[in-house]
Amino acid sequence: MRDLIEKLTPRYTLGNATYQRADLTFVDVTRDELRALLLELRDKEGFTHLVLLTAVDWIEEGKFQLTYMINNREADQTLGLRLYIDRNDAEGDTIHDIWPTAATYQRELREMFGIAFPGSPRVDEEFILEGWTDMPPYRRDFDTLAYSQQTYVEREGRETHDPRATMKHKMYPEG
Amino acid sequence: MGSLRDVLSPFTAWKHVIETPVTIKNPIGREAADRYRGFHQNDTDKCIGCGSCEDICQNAAIDMIPVDNPKDGDSGLRPQIDYGRCCWCALCVDVCMTGSLTMSNEYTWVDSDPDAFRFIPGVDKMPWDDFEKGYERQGDRMLSGLTRPEMAELEPEARIGNFDEIVAGYSREQAVLEADRCVECGLCVATCPAHMDIPDYIAAIREGDYDLGTQILYETNPFSEVCGRVCTHKCETVCAAQYEGEPIAIRWLKRHIIDNVSEERRLEIVGTPQVLPTGQKVAVVGAGPAGLTAAYDLARSGHAVTVFEAQDKPGGMMRYGIPEYRLPYDALDRDIAVIKAQGVEIKTGTRIGTDITLDQLKADYDATVLSIGLHLGRSTRVPGSDAPGVEAAIDLLRRITAGEEVPVPKKVAVIGGGNVAMDIARSMARLQKQKFGEVGVTVTALEDFDHFLADKEEVTESFEEGIEILDARGPQEIVTFKSGKRKGHVKGLRTWKVTSIFDEQGRFTPQYDEGDEMVHEVEMVVEAIGQMADISLLGDELTEALEWNRGRIAVDADGHTSEPWLWGGGDAVHGPDVIHAVADGHKIAASVNVALMAKAEAEK
Ligand SMILES: Cc1cc2nc3c(=O)[nH]c(=O)nc-3n(C[C@H](O)[C@H](O)[C@H](O)COP(=O)(O)OP(=O)(O)OC[C@H]3O[C@@H](n4cnc5c(N)ncnc54)[C@H](O)[C@@H]3O)c2cc1C
Ligand code: SF4
Ligand code: SF4
Ligand code: SF4
Repeated sequence: MRDLIEKLTPRYTLGNATYQRADLTFVDVTRDELRALLLELRDKEGFTHLVLLTAVDWIEEGKFQLTYMINNREADQTLGLRLYIDRNDAEGDTIHDIWPTAATYQRELREMFGIAFPGSPRVDEEFILEGWTDMPPYRRDFDTLAYSQQTYVEREGRETHDPRATMKHKMYPEG
Repeated sequence: MGSLRDVLSPFTAWKHVIETPVTIKNPIGREAADRYRGFHQNDTDKCIGCGSCEDICQNAAIDMIPVDNPKDGDSGLRPQIDYGRCCWCALCVDVCMTGSLTMSNEYTWVDSDPDAFRFIPGVDKMPWDDFEKGYERQGDRMLSGLTRPEMAELEPEARIGNFDEIVAGYSREQAVLEADRCVECGLCVATCPAHMDIPDYIAAIREGDYDLGTQILYETNPFSEVCGRVCTHKCETVCAAQYEGEPIAIRWLKRHIIDNVSEERRLEIVGTPQVLPTGQKVAVVGAGPAGLTAAYDLARSGHAVTVFEAQDKPGGMMRYGIPEYRLPYDALDRDIAVIKAQGVEIKTGTRIGTDITLDQLKADYDATVLSIGLHLGRSTRVPGSDAPGVEAAIDLLRRITAGEEVPVPKKVAVIGGGNVAMDIARSMARLQKQKFGEVGVTVTALEDFDHFLADKEEVTESFEEGIEILDARGPQEIVTFKSGKRKGHVKGLRTWKVTSIFDEQGRFTPQYDEGDEMVHEVEMVVEAIGQMADISLLGDELTEALEWNRGRIAVDADGHTSEPWLWGGGDAVHGPDVIHAVADGHKIAASVNVALMAKAEAEK
């Protein structure tokens, strides 16, 4: 994979190559070059299969990371392209015309992270969350605990105890 | 489009068409994958009831339920899981502080009672309790760091020729890293004798709110400069972080807070008594941590407090025992300044029993607190132990602090293996280095290194400073010159190898290998084998009247002696360290307060 990265480097802005395993490599790419790069990798380098498209919320940096995992079956190699987009204006470019399956991933990202993919088929339709009105739940500022407490009733008879207060009460009742 | 091969590959699935289908009609009884996340298992002996699993669960599926009485380091609570809420994410397993919580690969279970799906793993017996397969965290705890930031310290060469403080204290970055490791379980609070609000002040560090931190410290302890440096930190021995890493450096974090708040600011935060003076007077005998803590509390309750102290300066063993390289005097002075600011009067250079009698205090004050510590050194009483050149450790330490001239010979032997022995050995080593440019101290301890009394760091640092420590050696005789100019003066220390210290009943009866004898040639022998209280101030009558408990004045749980006007605490009654003395001080103050209120009520 080092050869491939070196070969592409003169023509693309590639950063932070991580050779995670013999068959798994990650590299940072830029948004304006993504399309050309994916096409070249698919048509010239044997990366014919889109394994998945997913996101990471780097909330502290104000960014979402889109990860395009593509696979070259012949060479048994997987390449992860990392693309950073602005978290406040979360929008990616659809690639459903390169891999039709991308439309499904993009619809999921739209629902779970609130990342828009204009032009992607059925991207604004509900995916697995039905009637969701809250913030997209995979955003890290979504408070899962508060949501589950508000949404689901507690079974009756539940009671918890604070370790510190329990010990205080039992071990030094005099105060 | 993909390659032709991609398009065709689904057809390769056709070859499976005549095989048994992968889906099955009845999934019950079908085993899940080896690392499947199924019903939980908990090794309840290992679990400490810290509640971190409850805190992390994003579905509020866990309650902590009492299953046993709490004890040091174990709340006696165990997690109960409500599988109506659990989403099998395993965050609880990943965060578990002891690694006790795991998941079996069992995922099927039918019951018509919904409440059956809420149980305490490991306590409520389940068929999958002993399953080997399932999910457990790989490797050590990963969600919080395992090690403390390293503390900057003076190198041995830089410290041995002086009494400069060795430990530097944490920087803000180090302190935040360390504070981040605390899971705020509060298991340590019970073990701290003063029950300091440890997780709360650690949280204040994280927030960068040192004023709040100081306020929290002062709620339970007016000696944070002291305890932040020399506390015996029993709390750290029960810390939840110790099971898969180092315990939180609670002591250093306390010091970090106080390091960041100036003396002036502390006075602003702590303030002065906010109550009307009661007009009642309390006498405190002894300005150590027990007496000064009681004085602090009592002054803040509006009483007029006078502390009588025999030495020239207040602080007790914190000043006259603990060497300066561990606790600089100005740090102690900052703690005492806040106590004085409460209106506490400290009369130094006044020994009760000689300068003023205890009877006088009884007559002049509404209550009297006895916090006189242990200031008489015990002797080995081996032959020669009364010869010139034999010294008591605490006596020497006091003289060093007071700036008195102490004899510094080239060769010194110290008898004892506790922290006091290390303190005097390291102090003498410094004086030798200053005088001769080299160290010549030999410590002989009854205990072997596996059962050593002094803290590990003390031993390590002593070795680094060039001190010789001989373990399992018992003193037989202090050899003296039999003739000549130095006749009668110390010439050496004769020791035998110790084979055992206690007999079968646990009584102190050291046994020796007489064939393994050594004579250590020294000009001074320092005995550091324990201290006792100087109770001569009591006088015969009071000594007779008081109740005693194995040679110490007996007190009730509040520190009240059998005499209604007299309370007692600290080393003279309980010991063994500063934080216990502080705890005693608080208890005594509370008890005196109640008694004085009753007295005021009765006099109305
Ligand atoms: C060498 C040494 C090192 C130690 N190191 C540590 C350590 O690292 N960490 C730790 O936590 N603890 C340590 N300790 C123990 C700790 O110092 C004591 O537990 C603590 O100081 C006890 O407090 P106290 O108030 O009971 O008594 P003290 O601190 O002993 O104070 C008693 C005071 O009463 C005064 N006094 C006595 N009789 C009279 C009288 N008749 N009239 C007037 N005043 C009188 C004394 O002069 C003294 O100032 C050490 C002790 C020694 C000796
Ligand atoms: S597995 Fe997840 S949801 Fe279930 S109890 Fe543990 S933390 Fe809560
Ligand atoms: S985190 Fe682990 S040790 Fe702590 S209460 Fe939960 S199961 Fe027990
Ligand atoms: S210091 Fe340790 S025992 Fe105390 S609250 Fe923090 S993690 Fe728990």
